[in-house]
Amino acid sequence: MALSRRTLLAGGLAAGAGLTSGCAGKPLDTLLTQAAHVPRTPATLTWWVSEIPSRNGPVVADLIIRAFERRHPHIHVRKSNALSTTDGNRAAVTTQLAGASPTPDVYLGDTTWPAQFGANSLALPLQTLLPKDFWTAYPAALRRVSEYRGAVYALPFFTDSAFLYYRKDLLAKHGRPVPRTWEELLRTARTVQRAGDAPYGFLWQGSVSESLTCNVAEFLADAEAPVLDGAGRVALNGPGAERAFSLMREFTETGVTPSTVTTYVEADSQDAFTGGRGVFLRNWSYAWGNAADRTVSKVAGKVGVAPRPGFEGDGPRGVSCAGGWSNFINPNSRHLGAAVAFARFCAGEEAQMILLKNAGVIPALDEVLTRREARAVGDPTLARVRELQLVARPVQTPYYPQVSKALYTRANAVLGGRATPAQAVRAARADIRTALEGGAL
Amino acid sequence: MTSSAPVSRRPAPEEAGPHAAQAPRGGGPARVSRRRRARTGWFFASPALLVITAVTVFPVLFSLLLSFADVRLEYGGFRILSLTGDHYAAVLSSPEWRQALVFTFGFTAVTVLLELVLGTAAALVLERLGAARGWVLAVLLLPWALINVVAAQLWGYLYNGTYGGLTWLFEQILGHQPDILGQPASAISAMVVVDVWKTTPFVAIVVLAGLMLIPGDVYEAAEIDGAGTWTTFWKVTLPQLRPIMAIAVLFRILQAFGIFDLPFVLTQGGPGTATESLAILGYKTLFQNLAIGRGAAVATTTAVIVITCCLLFLRVFRTQADEGGRA
Repeated sequence: MALSRRTLLAGGLAAGAGLTSGCAGKPLDTLLTQAAHVPRTPATLTWWVSEIPSRNGPVVADLIIRAFERRHPHIHVRKSNALSTTDGNRAAVTTQLAGASPTPDVYLGDTTWPAQFGANSLALPLQTLLPKDFWTAYPAALRRVSEYRGAVYALPFFTDSAFLYYRKDLLAKHGRPVPRTWEELLRTARTVQRAGDAPYGFLWQGSVSESLTCNVAEFLADAEAPVLDGAGRVALNGPGAERAFSLMREFTETGVTPSTVTTYVEADSQDAFTGGRGVFLRNWSYAWGNAADRTVSKVAGKVGVAPRPGFEGDGPRGVSCAGGWSNFINPNSRHLGAAVAFARFCAGEEAQMILLKNAGVIPALDEVLTRREARAVGDPTLARVRELQLVARPVQTPYYPQVSKALYTRANAVLGGRATPAQAVRAARADIRTALEGGAL
Repeated sequence: MTSSAPVSRRPAPEEAGPHAAQAPRGGGPARVSRRRRARTGWFFASPALLVITAVTVFPVLFSLLLSFADVRLEYGGFRILSLTGDHYAAVLSSPEWRQALVFTFGFTAVTVLLELVLGTAAALVLERLGAARGWVLAVLLLPWALINVVAAQLWGYLYNGTYGGLTWLFEQILGHQPDILGQPASAISAMVVVDVWKTTPFVAIVVLAGLMLIPGDVYEAAEIDGAGTWTTFWKVTLPQLRPIMAIAVLFRILQAFGIFDLPFVLTQGGPGTATESLAILGYKTLFQNLAIGRGAAVATTTAVIVITCCLLFLRVFRTQADEGGRA
């Protein structure tokens, strides 16, 4: 009884074919009917959630779960600890979801995921389950990134907004105001650097990752250069885009930004700033907590926060990439009704107030930011977040990861001096076109 | 003295002959017993076979199937719409794949060569050490014992642009802060250094084992013939080491060609796409871009290339060994 190679191959392929025929999908209407009703019978949900930065010590996710369970005593929520990086999380959660796993029931995902996850049936479309005026309470940019082809695939939880952090003490010493334009920032940074008060002027994120795409999206918005047009075709072109890329190169060429920025993710730039090595830092709102914490920051008490500058002229100022995390529903969940109820609870007032009081993030619900409690927290990013102009990344395509890669690899080459701004814009445009046509790997 | 009682006649052991236990020709109880033995064998082997099928055979064949499949993910599962060769066409014509192929080939060639040279040198030194050999070996093996990701993270700190020890050292020597992982040439070199540091001990210990197996009289004969140190090394030691070196090189080619953890931790494939290996490209294609068919095609092409390389290497090695034998 010999098991020949041919038998083995045929058996394997037959098993594969059998598996595929056994994995046919479920009708969406059935899923939505289940999702529309909160069950009255006991249910246990699994929530895939990464650590939410905490301001006061308690684990924020636990506070929210306890509040939800008080409202829905028959629904129990169990945490499933997600990974620390966005891309690692995506790989882990998509492996589970594509394998039709019923858990996690609800998962916290990046705001860049909805189109890709929606197009691949990894998230439940939720628009029919929401009241018509649902989105009026949330930033418009958040709604734009949560939708794909008219369907909503994510419910808002918290946002990340970008700010300019600056050294109050160094600006005061040199009699300089907080810069409102990039040109002004370059002049101030050079003055402070020449005086030997800080080795670096402006710190930001330039590594080949989504972090750089966020920075590029902001610089492009400063220069009023869109990546995609209204019809979703590539629009990156012309003097506006080149101006944005030229500014990035000018930072590294003049030494205002260290050349090592080509390897910086958020933590690297933050460490350099809190270590007293920079005058300005572009980072997300959560960086305030670390910069003001005397146990980890050498510059605590000397840091100010302002909206990002813009170019000289009439262009926009205070541009911030619309970042953040939203809750998605696993279409394979056995408790769809309970899962939707939990995700809606996270987007609602009670959970958003818990975020406001305890978490080092910006709640997605606009209205809570105007409350007295928001001022009492004493976090300047909360006070100034409404001055920002949020810009969405070109996420409304299932090929967003490839579009993002086109932007960050080409911008990274400009920072390292391996391509001119004009060459990089042309190459990024060609790469994005290939990506949108589904031609990129 | 006779006995009337019937006595069955059993052959005495010495009469039974050497083939007594063998089954007689034709159908008989012995054939049944052989079948039974085979069945017992299958029974005991089946758990292992099941595990191997589940974790090796099935995934490999399923991945092969996916690389030809137009897959659509659906609510509650997925569906294979058709079989196609488009994924291979897309992969083979893509500039990202070509770049990854060049990097992976180059990285494999350079690291395996360096590790072979340095590992052999280290083994020659180790062989001559006396009582201290055990201690030196233990220290030498430390990098090899470290988990790859931990080693990569460790070197990542040394190369870090802001507080990295090596960055600081180069800054003192060069007078300016180098961007080690931010420029293609230095990033690739930095990665080669980590791999060589980590894996040379493996080659050294394999070659050392080979050295210890060479019989002493071969060296005595060479000495009587008047061969010097170099001649002995080239004409005696190296030919004797060739089979074991071939094993080390094969192992290293397999590992280096699938390099994932080093670029993943150190550079994420950057700067640009300079250190994007085939494994990283496959990971990004499959898990970040959710292009299931194309990701599987990247994995399959990588497997085909590495198997071809290994077979070619073995053929060249065998030819050389045969020629060496005839010479």
